[in-house]
Amino acid sequence: MSQWLEQVIDAAQISDYLAPVRQQALEKLKADGWPARRNESWRFTPLTPVEKREAKQAVQADSLPVPAIDNLNAIDLVFVDGVLVTQVNTLNVPAGMSITSLNNDDTATQQAISSVYGQVKPTRHMFGLVNDALCQHGIFINVEAGVKIDTPVRIVNMASQNVDAHTRVVVKVAEGASATVIEQGFGDAESLTTAFAEYDLADDAHLEHYRFAMFTGKAKQLGGSHFKLHNRTTLNSTMVGYGSELSRLDVDIHHAGEFADAKMNAIYLLAEGELFDLHSTIEHAMPNGTTEENARGIVGDKARAVFNGRIHIHRDAQKTLAELNNRNLLLSRRGVINTKPELEIYADDVKCAHGATVAEIEEEALYYMLTRGVSRSKALVMLNFGFIQELINDVPNAAVREWLAPILSERFAQMEVK
Amino acid sequence: MLSIKNLHASVEEKNIIKGLNLEVKPGEVHAIMGPNGAGKSTLGYVLSGRDGYEVSEGEATLNGKDLLELEVEERAREGLFLAFQYPVEIPGVSNMEFMKESVNAMREQRGEAPLTAAEFLKKAKEACKQVQLPLDFLKRGVNEGFSGGEKKRNEIMQMILLEPKLCILDESDSGLDVDALQVVADGVNSQRDGERSFIVVTHYQRLLDYIKPDFVHILADGKIVKSGDASLALEVEKSGYAFLGKAYEEAEA
Repeated sequence: MSQWLEQVIDAAQISDYLAPVRQQALEKLKADGWPARRNESWRFTPLTPVEKREAKQAVQADSLPVPAIDNLNAIDLVFVDGVLVTQVNTLNVPAGMSITSLNNDDTATQQAISSVYGQVKPTRHMFGLVNDALCQHGIFINVEAGVKIDTPVRIVNMASQNVDAHTRVVVKVAEGASATVIEQGFGDAESLTTAFAEYDLADDAHLEHYRFAMFTGKAKQLGGSHFKLHNRTTLNSTMVGYGSELSRLDVDIHHAGEFADAKMNAIYLLAEGELFDLHSTIEHAMPNGTTEENARGIVGDKARAVFNGRIHIHRDAQKTLAELNNRNLLLSRRGVINTKPELEIYADDVKCAHGATVAEIEEEALYYMLTRGVSRSKALVMLNFGFIQELINDVPNAAVREWLAPILSERFAQMEVK
Repeated sequence: MLSIKNLHASVEEKNIIKGLNLEVKPGEVHAIMGPNGAGKSTLGYVLSGRDGYEVSEGEATLNGKDLLELEVEERAREGLFLAFQYPVEIPGVSNMEFMKESVNAMREQRGEAPLTAAEFLKKAKEACKQVQLPLDFLKRGVNEGFSGGEKKRNEIMQMILLEPKLCILDESDSGLDVDALQVVADGVNSQRDGERSFIVVTHYQRLLDYIKPDFVHILADGKIVKSGDASLALEVEKSGYAFLGKAYEEAEA
């Protein structure tokens, strides 16, 4: 057992309406213990930066400047060091949507939250269990049946020096409703953040989702976004990962109804020495579902990307269409990519494809561009950023797209080719 | 314009260019012919600065500037243009963004303001029409899925847009039918203005019917073994390279 996990277990205080879930999480944490190095889930992602760490309590923090997304007219909710600093009752929320804190006295709201909290997210994620047990600050977003919300809700997670922060987002989108949620985390100070989000999306609901896991440097980000889809639910998710000392994102998409459609695009850009790990699991439990997952990344010198993409098609999930693709560009021989696309199919009438590629800089194309007078750094961006740009172009929200394009190409342009 | 003196160059430690001399004055068209393996394409790569092409001896200057000291992109900005024998396909980068970046790099070098998207589009459309490529080629990935002839015409279009001082055309005629050859030649001839110089590397005299050279050089075994006027190309066409004797046999071996 690690010192950190022992302290986490000791610190858990279980008294609120979420006690049953918290209790179960604690028991599983105690039973499972600290993952061994051979544990498949953490095989390429050493947990040493957390193992011997001292667990820290969330403390009331000062506000930090919230990074703007130009031209994005969103409802902002801000966590600093695990504390929700936005006064949710003062927010101007469109009719048909409600945003409340998880600390809520209303019995009906508590019931709604309990129907999602720890119910969408699988229990195999260790840091998800930690979050189940310890999270004191969270948000519940509820969209009523048939209501289309155009205004995105943006949840910003920031961490300052020397802190453990555990935050939770719980979202319910009712029948035929639609919403846009952006989860954004950033900071480079020594910190540990577990940020988990659960989305329960009813029949005919639509969710446009973004997760920007942009912690860097000494920040340890351990988070997840988990989705439950029902009949004809549509999900369009875009994720962006930067690397840090330890960055891990777990994604689960569960097709619990028929004719659900999930699209997930993930981009990771890892600068020198960074680590980013994306684990995704798509469960096709029902027939006629569709999944398209594209994960693409650029890995700099001495950086490591881990991608594990699993699609599990249950025996009854006939007529499933599922595609999973992972493309990587290595900028240095000292960069590492561990990629593992997995298809597990028990139905006999499905269409599935998966693939993974790792490319290096194409010297001939680079030379060709240089002979036309294009500068080396511009040529590298044009040449090697295209496959990332394709996913940026795919971002449904124009303001987000225009915000992402320059910051990502700049991050890439600053990465050295060795 | 271009002055090459006693140039020696190697690829993977194999000597390919072995003491080449060439003087090209403004406005001149020089044709370089020669058997396979003589070093014709290597010359273009060496002058453009391709990685892996090592110059061990000699010099090459463009308008007095030492080419061999410059990076690939700097040579291009000094006005050197190489039309590739096998233009590279770059999926994911559109012809349009590639050429706009390229044209504006040249303009910056000349101290001119960059073209706006609209200004560039106008120029690009004209150049596209001139080489008879459909306008939607501008939007497509660089050379992506182009036929051999389309790639060659795309090279000429780039040349027209970039307004170089010295153009090296590396077998721009290979793989072209007569109509496409005419288009390529017309494109080249439209750029002859008495100042711009050309080095036309070719296997066949045919291209020289369309692009009239001032000089014809025979390159064999890494150096120029014979120079003359356009009639030398006709001689080669008629009798082959047999007159090269020993040098030819070495190059073939």
